[in-house]
Amino acid sequence: MEEIQYVGEHLWPGRIGHFAILTAFVAALLAAFAYFKATQRRETPTEYTGWRSLGRGAFITHGAAVFTAIGVIFYIMINRFFEYQYVWAHVSEELPFKYIFAAFWEGQEGSFLLWMFWHVILGFVLLRFGRSWETSTLAVVALVEAVISSMIVGIYFGGGEGAFKLGSSPLMMLRETMAAPIFANAEYVKLIKGNGLNPLLQNYWMTIHPPTLFLGFASTTIPFAFAIAGLWMRRHEDWLRPALSWALFSGAILGTGILMGGAWAYEALSFGGYWAWDPVENMSLVPWLVLIGGIHTNLVARSTGHSIRSTYLFYILSFVLVVYSTFLTRSGVLGETSVHAFTEMGLEWQLVAFIAIFLLMGGILLGARYKGIPAPAKEEATSSKEFWMFIGSLVLFFSAILITGSTSLPVYNKIMQFFDPTFQGRVIADPIPHYNKYQLWIGVFIGLLSGMGQYLRFREVNWAKNRGRFAAHLGGAAAVAMILTFLTTQWIEAKAWQYWTLLFAGIFTVITNLDYLVSFLRGNLKAGGSVMSHMGFGIMIVGIMASGLNQRVISNNPFIMEGLIEGADDESLRRNILLFKDNPMIMSGYEVTYTDDTLDVYTRTYTVNFKRKDAEGKILEEFDLHPNVLYDKSFTKIAASNPSTKHYLKKDIFTHIASLPQVEIDMEMRQQREDSLNYKVHEVLPYSTETFLDTVELRDQDTSLVKTYSLTLEEIIRNPTHPDYHPEAGDLAVGARIRVHRDDEDSTYTVEPMVALRGQLLYSYPVQINELSTRVRLNEEVFERVFTMEEELNYQEFNLAPGQQTTFGGNTITFQGFNRNPQHSNYIPEEGDLAVGASMLVQTPDGSQYPVEPIFLIRQGQPLNIKSEIEELGIHVRFPVLDPKTEQAKLLLAMAAPREAAIPIDVATDSLRSDYIVLEAIEFPGINFFWLGSIMMMLGMAVSMGYRMSQKRPA
Amino acid sequence: MKKIHFVAIAMIVVAIALLVNAAGDMSTYATFQQASTLDQKVKIAGQLAKDKEMVYNPEKDPNYFSFFIRDADGEERQVVLLAAKPQDFELSEQIVVTGKMEGDQFIATDLLMKCPSKYKDEEIYIKSEKSAQAG
Repeated sequence: MEEIQYVGEHLWPGRIGHFAILTAFVAALLAAFAYFKATQRRETPTEYTGWRSLGRGAFITHGAAVFTAIGVIFYIMINRFFEYQYVWAHVSEELPFKYIFAAFWEGQEGSFLLWMFWHVILGFVLLRFGRSWETSTLAVVALVEAVISSMIVGIYFGGGEGAFKLGSSPLMMLRETMAAPIFANAEYVKLIKGNGLNPLLQNYWMTIHPPTLFLGFASTTIPFAFAIAGLWMRRHEDWLRPALSWALFSGAILGTGILMGGAWAYEALSFGGYWAWDPVENMSLVPWLVLIGGIHTNLVARSTGHSIRSTYLFYILSFVLVVYSTFLTRSGVLGETSVHAFTEMGLEWQLVAFIAIFLLMGGILLGARYKGIPAPAKEEATSSKEFWMFIGSLVLFFSAILITGSTSLPVYNKIMQFFDPTFQGRVIADPIPHYNKYQLWIGVFIGLLSGMGQYLRFREVNWAKNRGRFAAHLGGAAAVAMILTFLTTQWIEAKAWQYWTLLFAGIFTVITNLDYLVSFLRGNLKAGGSVMSHMGFGIMIVGIMASGLNQRVISNNPFIMEGLIEGADDESLRRNILLFKDNPMIMSGYEVTYTDDTLDVYTRTYTVNFKRKDAEGKILEEFDLHPNVLYDKSFTKIAASNPSTKHYLKKDIFTHIASLPQVEIDMEMRQQREDSLNYKVHEVLPYSTETFLDTVELRDQDTSLVKTYSLTLEEIIRNPTHPDYHPEAGDLAVGARIRVHRDDEDSTYTVEPMVALRGQLLYSYPVQINELSTRVRLNEEVFERVFTMEEELNYQEFNLAPGQQTTFGGNTITFQGFNRNPQHSNYIPEEGDLAVGASMLVQTPDGSQYPVEPIFLIRQGQPLNIKSEIEELGIHVRFPVLDPKTEQAKLLLAMAAPREAAIPIDVATDSLRSDYIVLEAIEFPGINFFWLGSIMMMLGMAVSMGYRMSQKRPA
Repeated sequence: MKKIHFVAIAMIVVAIALLVNAAGDMSTYATFQQASTLDQKVKIAGQLAKDKEMVYNPEKDPNYFSFFIRDADGEERQVVLLAAKPQDFELSEQIVVTGKMEGDQFIATDLLMKCPSKYKDEEIYIKSEKSAQAG
């Protein structure tokens, strides 16, 4: 086949990008190798510095290459080079600039680059401040970078179908990734446009959540690198110090990243909660749990020399679990068990290799060095802090194992099916209770341990002396916590004893830590971070219990719900309420009204008013919520429904649009519905009434109802308005005020339908009368009836100077002068217009006077004129030429008999209302405790890290 | 033996106990046939029967949505979801419903859809005139 010479493709960014990614890959391998050699030769200074320089050069080159690749991708995205597959898939013409970052990391390749970016930044910190740890830790970081780079190099070995693919490049041309007839066109670039960012992801969380989470992921690499370095160089005690600061940093950032995911789910997605035990959520939580376990054993190891082995194990596993989570979320193995949608890149085996490399590296190294790792011969005493901290770490690890096990069920199924294709995959029938029932006990243990542990001392110093004090504080705290737990259960309902226990454990932690802070620390910040984190944990538990157990769907309406399905008595499942526009509904003490909606490009925002009234009907409280829906580009479906939440100190009220009428979702459907209505034309003379009969067939009976309608045409409106009509220059619009009455209804309805002619297109704006299920619109023939056609007019020419008079059709016409600021209903001024009005006065023989002012206009060098009309007299006036020399105006006048024709009005009496929303509203009490507690947890870690780093390094 | 070993053994015991217990939470995807004999919540994976009627009338009841799915045995049954109709429902390739049989109907409390990925959409949008939206 002949090679097509494509026009308009930008090939050079792709070439630079490919080169940069390849460089990043090779430089990372080289850096890993050089740093490895440097570490091995650390006893011989000359060799060491030589290899180290090479390693540094290679790592810096790698960093520069990563930055270049990211820069190139941003460049092609900002310039909308849709010939690139990545740009086409993630950006569209209309995507606002603020979402470019979100679009960048929406795709797998972009998020890999984001991950690498953070490794480079953290690597640079190690390079600058790592001292004796630089070569060994960076060897590990560089190797990790090499493996991740390999995911995006996009090199093919072999050819054809069976080609082995190493990585998937983000810089592929669209035509290389798919076959489509459009690529037969050499100028296809001009014709394509991008898919754009998934509308669900178009919000600011998508801009801040992934970078934080990936910084969290990247930061777990550093404690891992220190663990490997410590094992490698047998510096089993030295590594604990720097690793601890890094682990605290990682714990705080990764935790924040996970929380942001929860906050996003709660604030912006319609999940109706912040945590759903979704596999993707679980697999970002698990490395964090193990890391927190590691931090605790690390502290024990620093203070007592116990638990060094477990610290190694935890830091290694934490990183390996990050990689495992990458595998789960990116390989597509989760499939139908996750609500998150993921692309398959065809890199499953590469991801498996990623896990295997680092699991084996850590495992083999730990196994080989295990015997040599120092461990005190004397075991920890049961009354020592280290004993209980170690138990706590084990509990966290245990929790991580349970979550990983349940989440990995699809992997287990895949493996079983590999050996036995008939194997039926297993699933967890009801995931949320499944996870909750185990994690509840983990929460209880952690709560009790972190409360009690604070009072204990490392190596049980002065235990005999302090025993009494310990018991007193513990007993006191337990008593206070019990009272508080009881009081809390008066506020939130906790029906089972298990919940009471967890609530007690949470409150106990808060009390003991508070007591510890006051009685023992007395403002000493050494353990301030720890107190803050553990108190935060306790408060978070209370928040989880309050908002989780007592979350209440308040959008259930007993009238609609009953008796529709036999046997379905589960009222809690009926979560949605139907709200007709302007019809208030009572739900859970609120009077809720859907009052308004506005459309801005693709987003339709609804206003839902909430009122709380007292017995006399006085309004105690009133607020509006604004949930919105986002249409897709074709306006045929809803791409996203975004919630709106009212925050109180004590609770939140969360609402979102669960559904809309089909005609509001799909504009094609709306048109079809409009076309299918049974419109009938009625000719009505101005100021008169027309009556007609409408027959309604009654179903199941051989009878029909006859109803009498009357239509009164009150006025023809030349400058009509309608909520959906936005006037534009050059529009020709007409409306009518029509009074509609049906004999079986007491009220009369006044409607103002309109039609507008814009260019060649006719737009009709009908009006719905919901009470009568009737829709009224103006027939398009109204134009001919209302407007006199230009061709029927016989214009006479007059050339007048200001002040001159003439007669026309028996009327006296006075040309009063020029108006530099003319006003006219059909004239919308524009920048650069030169407009002059000819002010005229028309006096009829009987003495009545009519002012009229046609306009002469020069717009963009084109002479134009705008007609004026005196409807009562049927006089039409144009002002086509202004002679600057003589200062005379050329005026055209014509006369036509005033129109008194009947107006055709279309009425459909079978139009059902479609102005409603289906709303879901949930009350979350005490959710602020959850946020407060979890933020305290993260801040506590940051404080601890700051404290550890401010202490002097050992010489 | 160290105390820590006791703790470790205790945890392993608890873990095994929990795993045995958890086995009850796991199930394979059931068929309608099995669901009608069991009096408990089951999960059924199937395909939407696109030729059969789909009912969602929010004017009548915003929490009633019914449709037909075909299970692994090819049996087609009506499923009633007591919630609003999910977005993009018609596009789903595979549907997993959780619930119970009630007579001839399967009453679902939860529904998961597997949709063709948004990114794999191999349709190339051609630039077109901004289509006028009729009011």
